[in-house]
Amino acid sequence: MNIILAEIKKSYKILLAYPVEIAFWIFSPLLWAVPLVFQGKALIGGLSSEKFGEIAGTPDFIPYVLIGAIISTYMASSVWSMGFAMRDETFYGTLEHILSAPVKPVYILLGKAIFNSFLATTYVIIQLGICIIIFGLKITLYKIVPIVFFLILLIAGLYGIGFAAAGLTLLVKEAHGLLHLFEYILFLFSPIRYPVEINPITKAISVIIPLTYALIALRGLLLNIRFDFWKNSLILIGIDLIIIPLGLYIFSWVDRHTRQKGTLGEY
Amino acid sequence: MNRIRHYLRAINAENIKEWKIELRYKPDFIRQFFEPFVYLFPYFLYGFALLGSRNSEHLKSLTGISDIFAFVFVGYLIMGFLNTACWAMGASLRKEQWYGTLETIFVAPVPRWVYVAGMALHSTLHQGLIMFIEALVVVLVFKIFFNISGLFYSLILLLLMISTLYGLGILVAGLTIGLKQWWVISEAVSTLVTIITPIAYPIAILPLFLQKIALFLPTTYGVMGIRHFLLGEYLTLGIHTIFFCIAIMLIIWIGFGLMIFLIMDRYGRKKGVLSLY
Amino acid sequence: MTNDIIIKNLVKVFKKHHSEVRAVDGVSFEIKEGELFGLLGPNGAGKTTLIKCISTLLIPDKGTAIVGGCDVLKDPLGVRKKIGVLTGGERTLYWKLNAVDNLKYFAALYGVPSNRVKERIDFLLELMDLKERANENVEKFSSGMKQKLAIARALIHNPPILLIDEPTLGLDPYFARFIRRFIKEELSIKLKKTILLTTHYMDEADELCDRVAFMNRGRVEALDTPEKLKKAMPQEQVLELKCLGDLNKEDFVQLKESVSLNISKQDGYHYLRFNTDNPEVLLSKLVDMIRDRAKILSVQVTSPTLEDVFVYLTGTSLKESQDE
Repeated sequence: MNIILAEIKKSYKILLAYPVEIAFWIFSPLLWAVPLVFQGKALIGGLSSEKFGEIAGTPDFIPYVLIGAIISTYMASSVWSMGFAMRDETFYGTLEHILSAPVKPVYILLGKAIFNSFLATTYVIIQLGICIIIFGLKITLYKIVPIVFFLILLIAGLYGIGFAAAGLTLLVKEAHGLLHLFEYILFLFSPIRYPVEINPITKAISVIIPLTYALIALRGLLLNIRFDFWKNSLILIGIDLIIIPLGLYIFSWVDRHTRQKGTLGEY
Repeated sequence: MNRIRHYLRAINAENIKEWKIELRYKPDFIRQFFEPFVYLFPYFLYGFALLGSRNSEHLKSLTGISDIFAFVFVGYLIMGFLNTACWAMGASLRKEQWYGTLETIFVAPVPRWVYVAGMALHSTLHQGLIMFIEALVVVLVFKIFFNISGLFYSLILLLLMISTLYGLGILVAGLTIGLKQWWVISEAVSTLVTIITPIAYPIAILPLFLQKIALFLPTTYGVMGIRHFLLGEYLTLGIHTIFFCIAIMLIIWIGFGLMIFLIMDRYGRKKGVLSLY
Repeated sequence: MTNDIIIKNLVKVFKKHHSEVRAVDGVSFEIKEGELFGLLGPNGAGKTTLIKCISTLLIPDKGTAIVGGCDVLKDPLGVRKKIGVLTGGERTLYWKLNAVDNLKYFAALYGVPSNRVKERIDFLLELMDLKERANENVEKFSSGMKQKLAIARALIHNPPILLIDEPTLGLDPYFARFIRRFIKEELSIKLKKTILLTTHYMDEADELCDRVAFMNRGRVEALDTPEKLKKAMPQEQVLELKCLGDLNKEDFVQLKESVSLNISKQDGYHYLRFNTDNPEVLLSKLVDMIRDRAKILSVQVTSPTLEDVFVYLTGTSLKESQDE
């Protein structure tokens, strides 16, 4: 527990050294949603589309897109922040010192994951506020308990992917390409910007991505769209039960492998 | 004459060096060819989800083009050069700082603009290659048809726009010398330009104040003009106005970019921050 | 046009928050054409800053330098045509390129005629004994090999003037010896380059340089040939003791027989070096002074080194200067 707290404190202090980055992470997902809002208006000539409602569950595409953009903050956090979590230590030259401390590396990773998820949640709350004020987004928050429930399941699943990413970036020194690959898959094949049912390929691949079910549920809860609570939660739990141990296993395996090969400290 | 030959060789050497280093990172090099599709397809799929098809009557009433795929594709293709300016060119000196070679190359007897030109050459070829393959795939898979007669003027407009954007790239490259978090500026600029430029929607959709800002961006004229030549988009401005505006911007942006670059170079040499990553 | 270096009252100040660091504080000296000149001093003395000003990487705040007839402020491009720069440290080459590609690139930057590039690269790789590894990526080279390639790069355009900053920093003894010998025999004696060499290794300066300038806290404290600098010491001999125990400089403040003391610690042992004309008298006093606190393991009487001269002139040892 002390180790996790120490990691959280350290990560927080480093974050404060880069205040401009905080602003970036808050505004960036929303800025990327704006072209879709304009595109929607250009194509439809209004603010809602019946055709869209048939597959997305709501004809109002603007709230759909905004919620997707906000929740994608977790995706960026899990892939990039976690993916570079250990890689950054390699760059600073501190990784070997950290990993030779009398502590299991997984606790260090957990500390980073907890910190990043709190941070992402803070960003998400601010983004929601911005969308309510500027875009007039109307959300319902009285179902706060199931909202938090699905957020926890989403975060857990994404950070399972993040653990795998953290490990693999120690193995594959050229980390950017690998992390981009994770990002592309999550971005293209989950309903961040569009309902995945629109294309058979996106629909097929989306079934194994935790974001898919989390977004369906969170949009349902926040925007009052009908969805199958039990189906989405059970599938999400099932995915998490696979992804989290798999991610941890991959990280542990890479940790052992790099110690054997002696490539741990290489940047 | 000898001097010009020396500088031209140095420009090409910079270009070749960047290609050689890039090709050492094969997975990342290949990934760059997939990236445009990752960001393009959401526009297609989202548009299709809104309409249930790829044709929009409302878009046609605004622009004369009903095919949303063709409309977005041309806009998006051209915007690849914005990323080249903000990131590839902009980050090139930062890369040298990261390699540890910036001071080593700055001590060579070539003026700074030679490096900038070398970066621009590499970026143009790099993005051009990606664009070509992207265009080939999208045109064949999605059966998008262009007016071939408009190709010549489109290329001229494209070259003018690229050159103007390189003024932005030079500016960002200069900023990287002195500012640690230059990438935030780069990201902010490229994001805002992407939003304001009429890539996936006509300029008329934007709020009035953004429409006015859009008229100061070379990408606005580039996208509108090229879509006009290739797809027959209605123009709210005359085609001569478009060429004229982009030519003026070229002079302003290149001049401004070079000025900032030289100021930051001098700043870096005054403060001793050239080598700092 | 000559190939000498003239530094005129050069000042470089770095402002940090509310304080100011005068990294180079009014330095003036001249290096004659063909001379191997050493700039000697501890870390933080201002040597690297001075070299960066001369190589046009930094703009001086006052004063100037004339390099090969070109003023660094008025004609920086002219200066860069005349110089080759070699710095210590591993990250000055493109690791993802091989030796040949690195040299080709720099040959183009330095304007080596196209028809001479191959011949020049072959010559330099042969000279640096890198021919067999020419097509390997630099990332696979050892530190010493990287430094050899960096030398080849600095020589690619056959510059008359070389600025060499801490060339043996971080190298193992074998490569360090190779680099020193190369600088002295090949570059200085055979090719007659004008060389400004900075180092904090006194032995290196003593071994290689025609003349040496001591630099400390941005100023040149002394400048002459190594022999004359050593002869300028008031005492002709140095008494060195190797001890095991707990000793400080303050313990020896009262001694009249020695003008200066250099005390250093290495591998758990103290090395005390006293400049003195009466080593025997001094030794007997020292034995009495330290017998209760330390064990004397060995005694030597030698001639002063450049390090002793530095301590005498600056009042601090090399290690203390580094720590300040």
